[in-house]
Parts: sequence; structure tokens; C-alpha cells
Amino acid sequence: MKNGRRQVLKAGAALAASPFLSFPALAQNTPIRVGIIAPKAGIAGTIGECGLRGTQFAVEHINANGGIAGRKVELVIEEETNPKDSIERLRKLVLQDKVDCVQGIVSSGVSLAMGPAAEDMKALTIFWDGTTQDGVKETMPNKRYVFCSTDNECEAVMGSLLAIKHWKGQFKKVAGINPDYSYGRNNFAAFQALLKKYNIEHQVVADQWPKVGTTDLNSHVAALKAAQPDLVFSSLLFADLPIFMRTAHGAGLMDGKTKFVFPAAGFQHTALKKSFTPPGMIFGHNTLYFDYAKGTDLQKQFVKWYHEKTNDYPNWEADRAFFAMAVYKAGVEAAQKAKGAWPGKEDVINAMEGIKVQSLGGPGQMRKDHIAEQTFYQGITTHDNKYDFPTLGTVDVMYSDQLQKGTGQDFWKWIETANIKL
Amino acid sequence: MTAFLDVLIGGVFHAAVLFLVAAGLQLVFGVQKIVNLACGSFYALGAYFGISAVKWAIAAGMPPGLFIFVLIVAGLALAVIGPVIEALLRTVYRRDEAFQLLLTFALVLMFQDILRFFWGANPQELGDLVMSYGKLSAGGVQVPTYNVLVIVASIAIAVGIGAFLQRTRFGRILRATAENREMSQALGVNVTWINAAVFTLGTVLGTVGGALVVPTAAASLDMPVELVVEAFAVVVIGGLGSMRGALTGALIVGIMRALAIRYYAELEMLAIYIVVIAILIARPAGLHGKPIE
Amino acid sequence: MRALLVVAAIAALVALPSVVSPYYVTVILPAVAYAIALLGFNLLFGYTGLLSFGHALFVAIGGYSAAVLSAKLGVKSFELVLLISAAVSVLVAIPVALLSVRYVRIFFGILTLAFGMLFHSFLFKFYDLTGGDTGLRVLRPSLFGREFADMDKTTFLVGPFYYYCVALLVVLGFIMWRIVHSPFGLHLMAAREHPRKAEYLGVRVRFVRFLAFLVSAFYCAIGGVILAINTGQADPELAYWTHSGDLVFMTVLGGFASFFGPIVGAFSFVALKGELMGLTGYWRFVLGVVLVIMVVLFPRGLVGVGQQVWAKVRPR
Repeated sequence: MKNGRRQVLKAGAALAASPFLSFPALAQNTPIRVGIIAPKAGIAGTIGECGLRGTQFAVEHINANGGIAGRKVELVIEEETNPKDSIERLRKLVLQDKVDCVQGIVSSGVSLAMGPAAEDMKALTIFWDGTTQDGVKETMPNKRYVFCSTDNECEAVMGSLLAIKHWKGQFKKVAGINPDYSYGRNNFAAFQALLKKYNIEHQVVADQWPKVGTTDLNSHVAALKAAQPDLVFSSLLFADLPIFMRTAHGAGLMDGKTKFVFPAAGFQHTALKKSFTPPGMIFGHNTLYFDYAKGTDLQKQFVKWYHEKTNDYPNWEADRAFFAMAVYKAGVEAAQKAKGAWPGKEDVINAMEGIKVQSLGGPGQMRKDHIAEQTFYQGITTHDNKYDFPTLGTVDVMYSDQLQKGTGQDFWKWIETANIKL
Repeated sequence: MTAFLDVLIGGVFHAAVLFLVAAGLQLVFGVQKIVNLACGSFYALGAYFGISAVKWAIAAGMPPGLFIFVLIVAGLALAVIGPVIEALLRTVYRRDEAFQLLLTFALVLMFQDILRFFWGANPQELGDLVMSYGKLSAGGVQVPTYNVLVIVASIAIAVGIGAFLQRTRFGRILRATAENREMSQALGVNVTWINAAVFTLGTVLGTVGGALVVPTAAASLDMPVELVVEAFAVVVIGGLGSMRGALTGALIVGIMRALAIRYYAELEMLAIYIVVIAILIARPAGLHGKPIE
Repeated sequence: MRALLVVAAIAALVALPSVVSPYYVTVILPAVAYAIALLGFNLLFGYTGLLSFGHALFVAIGGYSAAVLSAKLGVKSFELVLLISAAVSVLVAIPVALLSVRYVRIFFGILTLAFGMLFHSFLFKFYDLTGGDTGLRVLRPSLFGREFADMDKTTFLVGPFYYYCVALLVVLGFIMWRIVHSPFGLHLMAAREHPRKAEYLGVRVRFVRFLAFLVSAFYCAIGGVILAINTGQADPELAYWTHSGDLVFMTVLGGFASFFGPIVGAFSFVALKGELMGLTGYWRFVLGVVLVIMVVLFPRGLVGVGQQVWAKVRPR
């Protein structure tokens, strides 16, 4: 099935176009329109596609079971590109297509611009991803219509904690190779902040910042090798990650003397073949570890469904997308039950605050301050499986309330002062 | 010492890759005075097509060790698009250069979606196939054999093209046409045919380059637009239109980048631009280019 | 005749918000921004004959200046933001122009592309200063000192801000009209056609090219400010070379040989791209095809087509 095909049912013109808020009686039989903004091309294209599949799975499920409070869900899909054009897509979805909810967004840059725009248009928006520290503070201090994902830095925090837990005392010289943008910068900074917090004596012997999408990492690996680190921390997560692994392996960096921490490697997990991805690395699958033995039935069903469609295994973006839809569904249904009639936008928002849902990857919830909480999975890689890529031998599960700051807190202060359990 | 050698080899490898991207650009500009913004697109096409060809060949039973030959053949096979695109460009030969530039920009736009249409949004790669050629070790230095092959191939191509242009009759005709199109035509040269041949050759340099390098990297959708920038840096430094310039430009960019990454990582790309601007101030035609205006 | 068309067009623009939905007005606003930017760009391209593939640099400078001024320095006045951003752009243009106008044609294009990407790298790399990939926030300005705080952003954009920008377009368009019809404009065209002959006749070719470059930087920055306020964010993509390519695309689409061509191009491109993005995932391909058709078949752009049609149709 070709992905990204926009499905727009041309329901009866003017009637269907009226916001359902004003005509609840009529609205009962018309579908709920959800706008999706996800990347389809460029560096994040494959991530957007994976997320889209999560949404499609969610919608198939929902519609097969009677829809959301009796109404079927219909998707209007637009492409996420750069902030300027993506905001135009948002305006189209909200002002022209008059969707009831907007979900999507993977890039932090786009979410930063889109947040205020969505708030201003009073458009109920649920971001899949892209929540970085710096921007969120200034641009969206009091979100009403916008709901954010878990902090981008959760995986870095978890990876760092695991590194400290498993390898404390076994490393001194650390090196970082992280993508040169806010995500990579914050991740490595978080790692260092945590090392400092737990008084782990360390020395940063190299830090590399390859441009996102670099395909030739030989020089970076050479520089890392020259620094002879005991531990390498890398939040590389795009197509550059398998390239890095292969190059590092080829240069002899994976001969066992160096430890590796890859908090975000799950994005590319099936591309990281066993022949160049050694066991014993700390590896992050974020909110969806497809092979989790104790995973929910829903997740197992999804993985099977995904494999049948794509001959591949999903990464966590599918879970983020599913979670967004699940939160929306739960909010609408809870609000409808409470009101006894079809809920308005404000009712839905109030219901969504604090709501708990089951996502593909396990339990999650939406905090009152509109930041999500989800279950995170990281572990140590093993080759003992039936695939041609490593999976997790030991799995650590942490809920994001241990990995991200609380309401109103500053991320860096939180790292310093909070009682984060190892 | 081994650290420095590692850096050097990394730099030379990158130079080899850049040369493969820029060579086609230089050849086409040298003879036809067209700057092909789609050079990165051809490279990307070669990369994607090479991957498909190898996967198909292996599925059909070919021993995996022969994959490098499949890649070369795949790159060469793409030569068919050369005449087609050249025919399109022919419509604007007589017109202002701006139009030629714009046409190639239109190609960049079109290729982005063509690549996505055939190969989807996922970056494609050949997994660990490149490792089947093993590694070369000397002292503490380890280099994948395949990387060395790429470097050797670039040198071979550079030497080959040089010899072709300097020693063969066809090469002489090409250079003559580059110097003075009208005169060549008056002397009986079929300029139309020459243009098609040169453009195709330029295309093939790009596609073969892309196919050869892809086992060490990956084919992704943003390759076409990203590579153009580095290719232009190479070409400005080396001198527009000069094959020797492509070589020196590539070496300078590759090694400077490797050094920057090793000793002052933040500077990486900026270092290249600084060199570009410096060359433009000091010797605007580039190191090997002909003086302009 | 032409004056009539211009008046009609301005009237249509002014009447637009009353006739169409706010959504369409938000689509047209970037077109107004691009129209202003392209007026400047075409001074360099159409009138002076220099094709720059890096002018997105100045659009980005406009956007980032607006961001720094409004969000970091607290400057609220739209007028001040416009002036200062344009001034910064011209300042940056001085060294770039000095280096670039030594060359023509292809070398000029490559040089400008290099400068554009240099700025893009700078924006991306200097994360602490420029916000890196996420860019910088741009706050809503006050128009002539009035805040319109009671309006939400969309109403502000399609209301007072829209009318202000249309007025800007008219004023700046008028100024550009005077520029191209002045002796300076004639010098530019002479320098474009026959640089050597022009030199003999006393035209200081390099100097007028230099000036044209500065003026184009001024206009592009203003376009950039409007774009950034519309989006609410200034990000590095504004400076990427394909964005420069889009500027050229729009100009050629409308017709670079005519004064109004770029304006027509800006509106057509924005409308076309918007529609296409909604229709198909492969909109880049379709845009590429459109560009090919324009370059090969209609080099004088939509205005050129209009002129041909008018020539056939008009009463004798």
C-alpha cells in the first residue's frame, strides 16, 4: 500500500464543513476529521511514514470497533516540511478543512513555530514528537490547545542512567558523537549533567557534531579513535547511524575496549545489522520495543500487522502516533460520557488533561500541563535472536515521570536537584 | 602517528567521493558551459539504482563478492538518461545561461520526487555487504578494503579522463569544441553529437560514482540537494571547467574537512567555506581554472 | 491600459479579505512578501542581468533580524523592525556585492550560492546565537504604534497587518518603478546588454551593479521580515539554496523581462504550490515540470503570455 495518500471523504458540502461544535445533533452521523501533519520526504520521511502507520492502525482499530463515541474517524493528511510551509498546512487543515483535531509533527523546529500558531487558532493539536527544552519554555508556557509529547531528552536521561548503573567505575574518558542540532546538543549535555550529578569522574576527550545527514563519517570515526575513549555516547538517529556503526566497526572501534551508549538507536534498529553492531551496547527503543516479550497484545498485533505490510519492524514513532490518537479518543469519550451529549472542544481538552491510556508500548497518560508521560524501553544488546540485527537481551523499563522534569520546572535545574533513581 | 594516518585516509576517501560527484559537473561545464545543478541528483540516482541492482543480482543467485561489478554496470546502465536530458537542455543552449541553470534546477525538483516514487522515503543501504571485502591493517591503522577500492577507482577515473581528453582524437575534438564551438562546427565537427556524448559522459561519472560509494554510506532523499553544495565548493576551489581542478579541489576540501573534524570539530563545514571565499578573493578563477571576464 | 490593470489589481488585493475566507488571506500574505522581495531580486536579474542563486540569504537576514529585534531586543515597532532589518541586510550585502559583481553570469550565480550556504551553515552551527535548526521566535509587531492586542494572531494577520503589507507593496513598487525608469535604471540595462560599450559611454558598470545588488538586498530583507512575522519563526531553511532557487523560479514564472512579472510570479507560485501540496504528495515533481515548461516554451513568463494574448486580441 502506498503510504501518505490523503484520504478525504467529500461529505456533503456546507453541512459537513460546519464545526461540529455548533450543530451537535447533525454531527452525530458525520465522521470525525483528524488532520495529520507528518514528513514524507527528506531526512525525517521514513519516521513520518512509520508514525503514519501507527495512526492508520489506530484508526482501523477504532473504526472497526464503532469509532470514537459512535463516530468514525477520517484522516486528512498533509506533509510536514519547513516551519513556514507546515504552518500553512496547519492553517489549511484548521481554517479550510475544519478538522476537529490536528496530530503529528516530528521536527522540533516545526513544533516550536506551530505551537503558538495552533494556540492562536484555538486548534486542538497533539504533537507526536519534537519537544525540546529551550523553545518550549519561552514559546508555550501555558498551553491550552496544544498537547506535547514527552521531552526529547527522556531517552538521553535514561541512557545515561543505565550507563551509570551498569558501568559505573568502568569508564573515565568519554566521547560524544551527536547530530549537530538541538536534539543532539541537549542529549549530550544531559548526559554530562547526569555524570556530574552522580559524581562520576570523567573527561570528555572528543565531541563530534556531524551535520545531520552526513554520509561520510570516516573522519569523525578517525577522530574518535584517536581520542581512545572508554565510552562513546551517541544520539545519532537518522540514516547516519547505521553508517556510523559500519564505519566504526570497520575502523576497529568496536573491538570491545569501548563501551557504547545509543539512546535513540531504535529509530534505525533494523538497519543495524549484527555484523557491525556488537552486543553489550546500551540501546534505546524509546516508547516502543517491538520484540518485548512482556509487551501488550495490542503491540504484538501491531508488530505483526506492520511486518505484513512492510516486511520490516516498527520504531517508536508509530507508538507516538498511536498514543496521540488514543489520548484524543479517550478524551472525547470521557467528555461525552460526562456531558451526556457530544462534547465541545473545551470539554474534550478538560477531559484529556490527566487522562490515562494504553498505548502500543504500554501505559501512558497526558499530564495536566499538556505534556505526555509514557513508558520507555532501553537495554543491553544481544545477538541471541532470530533476526539479522541485535535486540535487547536485558530490558530496562522506566516510566517517564522518572525521566523528565515536572510541571513548571527547568530541565537543567531538575537534573541537578531531583531525586532521580538509578 | 596512526591517528594522523587515520585522519589522512579519511580525508582522501572523502576527496575521492567528492571527486566522483564533481567530475561530471566539471566535464559538462568545461565543454558545454552548462552548470548542472542536478549533478547531485544523478549521483543519488546511481546510489539508489545500484542498491536495487545489487539486491536483485544477489536474489538471482550471484555470489555477493561480485557486487562491485554490479554497481559499476548499474551506474553505466544509467547512461541512457543522459541523451534524454541533454535533448531537453538543447532547447535552451542558445539562450541565456540563466535558463540552463533553471532547467537543471527544475531537474533537481523533479528528481527528488522521482527518487521518492521509486524507492520510498526510507534511506536505502546495502547493510554489511561492504564488509565482505574485509579490512586492510597496517600498524594500528585499519581501513575497509572497499574504501581503498573507491579511492583507487577515483584515481583511475581521473587518470582515465585526463588521458582521454589529452591523448585521444575524440578528446582533442572535445577540447576544441569547448574552446570554440563555431570554429569546430565549421571544421566539420558534429557539435550536436558531441554535446550529447559529453553530457552522457558527465551523467555516467555521477551515476557510477554514486553507485560505487553507496555501500559505505546510504542512499537518502536529501542527498541531491546536500551534495551540490560540497560539489560547488570543490569546483570553485579547483577552478570551474578543469578536471585537474576537480582533483585538487576535492583533495583540499576532503583533507581540510578531515583535519577540521579531528582538531576543531565545530569548524567542519565552515572551514570549507572560508577556503572558498579566500580563493575567490585571491584567485577567483580557482586554482586551475581559466581566468574569467 | 496598464495603469488600469494595476489599479484593478490593487483594488482586488485590498478587497480580498472581505470576499474570501481568512484562510486564503493567510495564503496570500506570503505572496505579498515574496512580491516585495522579487521586485528587488528582479532589479538585479531582469534589469541588470545578474542571476543570483543566493538571494535567500537576504530574505533570511530579514527574518532573523526581525526575530532578534522583536524577541530578544524587545523592539515592537514594525517600522523600526523593517528599517533596521533592511539596513542590516544592506550592510551584509556590501562585502558580498563587492566580491560578486566582479563576475558575471555563471560565476556570479555560483558565488552567490556559496554565500547563501555560508550563511545557512552559520545559522545552523552557531546554535547558541541563532537557535540552530529550530531558529528564533518572531513576535508580533505594533503597527504605527498600535498593538491590536485584543486580536488573535490570525485576525491580526488577515486584518491590519495584511493591509499594511499591501500598502508597503504599493509604495515599494512605486519606488522601484521610479528606480528602473531613472537614468540609473537605464545604466543598468545598458550594462546588461553591452558592458563594454556602456563603459565607453561613461556608465560605471561595476558601480551600478553594486548599487543594484544593495537595493535588491534591501527589498529581499523586507520580504523576509513579513514572512517571518507570518510564520512566527525564523529558521535556517530560509537561507537554503533551494529557497534561492524558488525566488528565481517565481521570477521566471511571472516573467523577468517585465516590471510586473515578478509580482505576478510571486502570487502565482504561492497559489500553485499551495494547491499542489494539497493535491499530491509529488508536488515537487509537478513544480519541476511547470518550471521546464516555462523555461522552454514561455521564457517571458506569464506576463509574456498575457502580452502575446493581448496583442492578438486587442482591437486595432
